[in-house]
Amino acid sequence: MRSHTGLRALVAPGYPLLLLCLLAATRPDPAEGDPTDPTFTSLPVREEMMAKYSNLSLKSCNISVTEKSNVSVEENVILEKPSHVELKCVYTATKDLNSMNVTWKKDDEPLETTDGFNTTKMGNTLTSQYRFIVFNSKQLGKYSCVFGEKELRGTFNIHVPKAHGKKKSLIAYVGDSTVLKCVCQDCLPLNWTWYMGNETAQVPIDAHSNEKYIINGSHANETRLKIKHLLEEDGGSYWCRATFQLGESEERNELVVLSFLVPLKPFLAILAEVILLVALILLCEVYTHKKKNDPDAGKEFEQIEQLKSDDSNGIENNVPRYRKTDSADQ
Amino acid sequence: MTKITRVSLASPPDGGWGWMIVAGCFLVTICTRAVTRCISIFFVEFQTYFAQDYSQTAWIHSIVDCMTMLCAPLGSVVSNQLSCQAGIMLGGLLASTGFILGSFATSLKHLYLSLGVLTGLGFALCYSPAIAMVGKYFSRRKALAYGIAMSGSGIGTFILAPVVQLLIEQFSWRGALLILGGFVLNLCVCGALMRPITLKEDRSVPEKNHNRKSQREDCKQASPYSPLTKECTETRLCCSLQQEYGFLLMSDFVVLAVSVLFMAYGCSPLFVYLVPYALSVGVSHHQAAFLMSILGVIDIVGNITFGWLTDRRCLKNYRYVCYLFAVALDGLCYLCLPMLQTFPLLVPFSCTFGYFDGAYVTLIPVVTAEIVGTTSLSSALGVVYFLHAVPYLVSPPIAGWLVDTTGSYTAAFLLCGFAMVFSSVLLGFARIVKRMKRTQVPFPVKASDPKLQLWTNGSVAYSVARELDQKDEKPLPKARSGCNLT
Repeated sequence: MRSHTGLRALVAPGYPLLLLCLLAATRPDPAEGDPTDPTFTSLPVREEMMAKYSNLSLKSCNISVTEKSNVSVEENVILEKPSHVELKCVYTATKDLNSMNVTWKKDDEPLETTDGFNTTKMGNTLTSQYRFIVFNSKQLGKYSCVFGEKELRGTFNIHVPKAHGKKKSLIAYVGDSTVLKCVCQDCLPLNWTWYMGNETAQVPIDAHSNEKYIINGSHANETRLKIKHLLEEDGGSYWCRATFQLGESEERNELVVLSFLVPLKPFLAILAEVILLVALILLCEVYTHKKKNDPDAGKEFEQIEQLKSDDSNGIENNVPRYRKTDSADQ
Repeated sequence: MTKITRVSLASPPDGGWGWMIVAGCFLVTICTRAVTRCISIFFVEFQTYFAQDYSQTAWIHSIVDCMTMLCAPLGSVVSNQLSCQAGIMLGGLLASTGFILGSFATSLKHLYLSLGVLTGLGFALCYSPAIAMVGKYFSRRKALAYGIAMSGSGIGTFILAPVVQLLIEQFSWRGALLILGGFVLNLCVCGALMRPITLKEDRSVPEKNHNRKSQREDCKQASPYSPLTKECTETRLCCSLQQEYGFLLMSDFVVLAVSVLFMAYGCSPLFVYLVPYALSVGVSHHQAAFLMSILGVIDIVGNITFGWLTDRRCLKNYRYVCYLFAVALDGLCYLCLPMLQTFPLLVPFSCTFGYFDGAYVTLIPVVTAEIVGTTSLSSALGVVYFLHAVPYLVSPPIAGWLVDTTGSYTAAFLLCGFAMVFSSVLLGFARIVKRMKRTQVPFPVKASDPKLQLWTNGSVAYSVARELDQKDEKPLPKARSGCNLT
């Protein structure tokens, strides 16, 4: 990438002063540059490029590698839009560092140019820094700094932000409506799109032509897909795709559509159990009362008879006991 | 219809069918209090489905809680007029209907009405009658019985929370509400368990009751079309209301009511603000959640152990003191809370507060029963829980406002702490005043007036009788004795 001079040298990672010096010292490649005065023509283009890249943000990440660490130490670098990236590996050793060398690799392929690499030794630490600009999706991937023959490495995984949906499947009922949500935390995608189907065959969902689907989101970092009048066939996988300047990321949401009979069965089971228990307990109560009243035979039972006879016949019996306060109601 | 289907017993059985009543009340507490707390698990689902924010959905929980407490007197009235069994079964049916209708809801307003109002009303019809029933069946082991019964809310929350989560994952919120409605139908089973019981105390004042009862009998025998009916129903209503709500005029009860207002004001914000406070002083999310779990579990332990403790002979006569001690300790914990800023300090706080929170919850029905007696216990509990409603509603928002304006939790916690300490101080003060009044009464013994002597004889006889009665732990309600003395 950086093996060309000339205009493409301007694209190289930015120490703008260094570039100016290089430009002043070298002649641009006539095959690529303008035939007229090279400094004159390259300046505005260079300025344009520098203007384009000067307001990019800088993302720096560090990894510390020691002799005792695992074979590979990983760090995630999340990029949404083109920016300067500075990756730093710090190797700490107890032994002599003179024989130690460091190489940088992208996806296990060594990076050839040494531009943008900066290696310093201080005491017993070896620091290697790699600075470059990421401006398209081809530059995303795994960048590793490899130390020595033992291949101790630290890996930077550069990727676009991941979208998050619901991990468990969403349950809904036939005839109901449901909302599928995808969120991207701390990031602002340019666009969201929804797809239906499995990984191999994805059908985009068009909310404008179909009344069944409504896509909206209250903030730019989330999107909601509302599906109305659900049918059992609507169950399946739904994918939400977030588009960034540097690429895309997608997430899967699973939807299961049930009929209303499914929860009705446990409900009816509980209802049957309740009716059974209530009947059992009330019967038990009546039985216990009958048992208790029967052996008592005397006082209360006779009184019931007397009361009844009093009411019905009006015959004056010799009632030794009047209505007891047993007839206590609340 | 013969009324002689009642089981008439001389004294509370303290066992036997009483344990089934405790089991029934335990299940009632699970189905009402624990289910109310688990409704908040549905909020995330409601927010996503109805596209509303948290404050709109949180109204459902407030409405249910409010209705359960506000309509508690209605619950006691219904169960007094019909019967405890019928009242609780009706409550169970209403609550279940609320859940079932909620599962078909198409907007949040439907949920307010079905899940909020209807279910809350159903719970109110169940809660205080069930608790009153436990008091009728126990006297010696009353506190332990109440402890076991009230521990249902803690244990129920513990068990139901993951179960509700599982139901929502399997069936989504509609199916989960339907199944929860079926679960709540078990309140009908609890209702069936509540066999009525008449106690010696109900027949202890036969003269007074007999007049009213004979009036009632006359009224019932009168045909519906006779002119006597209107008079009868009015006097009947008056008499029964006077009999059931006479305790409202007792000074003891008024003091208890005021102290309950302050105590309810103080106790509710902690469950809302402990986690935010812990997060604000630097405790991690996991540790804050652990604090809440400790609070819940120790609450259950406090319920049962404190109930068992206050049933011991040495403490039995001092239940009132134990109650105000538990409330005072909770208040003191609150006052210390702003000074506890690290996790190792907050854990013992959670343990202490949770233990005494469970303790005084167990003792509220016991203390109420001591003051009003078991006949009016149902109505009195209705009133006591009614008095919980407004502070429960008002206290968390006030605490939130204090936190927002002062920028720290200190003011809110101090206010709650002072409210609870004031509540217990009020009770202690009232008890001291009563003691002083009672010790002053024998002084007129020295007068030679025969009438006074009769009075004093009566008072001495009364106090002797009270000592004897304390074995059964059922002194005559003080309203009547108050009338005799003054």
